[in-house]
Amino acid sequence: MTIKLNVDGVPHSVDADPSTPLLWVLRDHLNLTGVKFGCGMALCGSCTVLMNGAAIRSCAMPLSAVGEREITTIQNDQDPIIGKLQKAWVDEDVSQCGYCQPGQIMSAAGLLKSNAKPSDEEIIAAMRGNICRCGAYNRIKSAIKKVVAEA
Amino acid sequence: MEVSRRDFLKTTALTGTAFVLGLYLPEKSRVTAAESTAKKLAPNAFVRIGEDNRITFLIGQAEMGQNTFTTLSMCIAEDLDADWEKTDIISAPVHPAYNHAWAPMQLTGGSSSIYTMQAEMRKAGASIRQMLMSAAARRWNTQISRIKTKDSMVLNPATGARLTYGDLIEDIANLEVPQNPKLKSPEAFKLIGKPVKRHPKEAWAKVRGEAEFGIDVRLENQKYAAMIHPPVFGATVKNFDGSKALQRQGVHRVKQTPFGIAVIADHWWQAKQALDDVRVVWNAGEFKQVSSESLRQQYRAMMEKPGASARKEGDTAKAFQQAAQILEADYEFPFLAHAPMEPLNCTVHDQGGKAGIWTGGQMQTVYRNACAEALGLEREAVTYHNTYLGGGFGRRAVPNMDFILDAVFAAKGEPWPVMTLWAREDDIRMGNYRPLRINKVRVALDQQGNITALESKLVGQSIMADTMFASFIQNDVDPFMVEGLATHHYDFQNNDIQVYRVKLPIVPLWWRSVGHTHTAPVVEGIIDEAAHAAGRDPVDYRLNLLTEKRMVDVLEDVARISGWKTRKKEQNVGYGVAVVESFKSFVAQVAKVRVSGNQFEVEKVWCSVDCGFAFNPLNVENQMMGGIHFGLGPVKFSALTVKDGMVEQSNFHDYKVVRMSDAPDVEVSILNSGEEPGGIGEPGTPPIIAAVANAIFDATGKRYRSQPIEMG
Repeated sequence: MTIKLNVDGVPHSVDADPSTPLLWVLRDHLNLTGVKFGCGMALCGSCTVLMNGAAIRSCAMPLSAVGEREITTIQNDQDPIIGKLQKAWVDEDVSQCGYCQPGQIMSAAGLLKSNAKPSDEEIIAAMRGNICRCGAYNRIKSAIKKVVAEA
Repeated sequence: MEVSRRDFLKTTALTGTAFVLGLYLPEKSRVTAAESTAKKLAPNAFVRIGEDNRITFLIGQAEMGQNTFTTLSMCIAEDLDADWEKTDIISAPVHPAYNHAWAPMQLTGGSSSIYTMQAEMRKAGASIRQMLMSAAARRWNTQISRIKTKDSMVLNPATGARLTYGDLIEDIANLEVPQNPKLKSPEAFKLIGKPVKRHPKEAWAKVRGEAEFGIDVRLENQKYAAMIHPPVFGATVKNFDGSKALQRQGVHRVKQTPFGIAVIADHWWQAKQALDDVRVVWNAGEFKQVSSESLRQQYRAMMEKPGASARKEGDTAKAFQQAAQILEADYEFPFLAHAPMEPLNCTVHDQGGKAGIWTGGQMQTVYRNACAEALGLEREAVTYHNTYLGGGFGRRAVPNMDFILDAVFAAKGEPWPVMTLWAREDDIRMGNYRPLRINKVRVALDQQGNITALESKLVGQSIMADTMFASFIQNDVDPFMVEGLATHHYDFQNNDIQVYRVKLPIVPLWWRSVGHTHTAPVVEGIIDEAAHAAGRDPVDYRLNLLTEKRMVDVLEDVARISGWKTRKKEQNVGYGVAVVESFKSFVAQVAKVRVSGNQFEVEKVWCSVDCGFAFNPLNVENQMMGGIHFGLGPVKFSALTVKDGMVEQSNFHDYKVVRMSDAPDVEVSILNSGEEPGGIGEPGTPPIIAAVANAIFDATGKRYRSQPIEMG
């Protein structure tokens, strides 16, 4: 079945079962491998993308439920907030293995789009859905705060 | 197994490099011409210089977050005087030139990459630099002593002449290889010992989602396999029927692998959905009766008899007879999964007569060889590509090669490349765990409250047994089981450490810091109990008994940075300390814990580390932070439990790991002692487990000896 999808400002037509999670459409149909698989149950946040600007777990979002809403991935190079976060991530030396970081950055982007000046508690509340097994949490926190301070 | 570096050079020549010469060959080096438009020089296994003056480092170690790519490249770049911003790092092919100093294979483990390889990397850089200087001196008809280098350039300060390294690649092709090149003096270091961030190319690729992990490998006409694994440990496939699954759209194959059943489809999600339509009949085996509780009973029964002796000195029995006080304690440690964020995967292309294999692995040579054997090929006919690892923690150095062999057998005889990708549930339930262990200890205290004897009975699986590393086991003792316990640094005079090895169908595996997550909580727990029994300060008590200066130094340092002596007594707040040597490094930590009802939060951790010399202090700090958060998981909640021969947990909802909301602030102090360098990937993990338990005692007066800590 062909389904239309709007990803990073580009319209796509995807031939996939409507129940396919958005994650697998992005990774395996559109080759956007920056979006990561981690748990398949919306427990770890590796697959986080934005849907109309809000952070969602793409592994638990069926393709059929996306409709015409705009999907933004880590591979979007036009979004200023994502760009600022990426730079802060590099400046703060956040990434270790780096696998979870696209999802971490997208959760942070979702937060900052709705709340430009989050408190420490608000940062933790928004980020606690994203697991980093390398334990880069202290650096993730400081990278987000760096972007907040510059806003 | 030693293969000459000449063989390596032949290999690179065949891959199309324009000029290849061997710096390490004792005789004069040779140039080999090959067809290529862009000229490139590969002076040794670790460096390539392009005529555009971009320098590429080839690193044979796995990059799994521990920053080995960056740190080893820093070592080469330092003595090569390379412009760091104009360098690239790539994963080296499988070749003996990249073998670990410890074994005839490429291996990333034991936190050993930097301290075993830094000297060779520096020499590799220095040799090339010296040759470049000789070549420039010849061109400018001057003395080499008048030549300087800077940022990938050779300079003649007297004339102002300059050449890039890339300008000189043909000139150095015929030069003698310096066998003992002069290394930079530490005062001249620009990179080594400095807080250098992760290499910019890697750092940017990782935040842009462009870094290639194993799961991101995309080959022409690639298919994907999902797996069904045994429900019970030790179960085997009796028969299976995949006919219904084959009727589903996109599904191409249903087949057996050594570890289960693979369904191959156009897309992974199709394969995963089709698993429901495969009917498998299992030979369940006897393990169906086993539970964590039955294992604990089995382990405890074994302690009734004497175990294998890992350390015996003095007269322990006499010390206990003469003791003024005896303390007994019992520690239990559950199975743990590594749960790296990138689910386990491997891609194999069986091309008939040759093959390709792609994965992020910590044992490239072993995986390559296993792939060759399974496909009936010569080893050299298999090309192994090591991608970035989405976390390792030991799980991707797996002697039974579960996820590798699943992939090799899934792809065997198929016309397409096949990526076999495990779901998170496969990873949590398939074994290769930090093993369940129980340790019963007793200490004897004299009138002054000092420990005069330690007796320990440790029961559990040996990780080395039944693997290619089994020869480490001597006199029935696996040294990795008792590391940190038999090798503790306290002057107890009498020691009696006994171990008991268990065999189970649940395969055990090293988990960040290996034996130390079992032993540090015991040694650093019981000594804390003894300090309390003696009415002494836990830091002073340890200092009085320590025999190793480096332990003393980190302990005193962490006491200083944490304000240990002047800490305030506050209701429901406790401070705990622990000091551990692991992987040749010394780490002391103080944890500050706040208790509320049956919950506790670790608010702050102070960490002092002596790894001899911090090649990259920023990374040492990152690894200490990460190691602490990794160790907090089993302290707080991570545990796997067995029931009816199966692990009860399956994903991150019931196998809980540390999240940002659990992560304390961490303050790291680095002592550059100048002693022998040690590792940094793992040593941050062991002390925290004990430090938190000791802090909870300080806050509540209750001892929690087993993991995870369940208060109440």
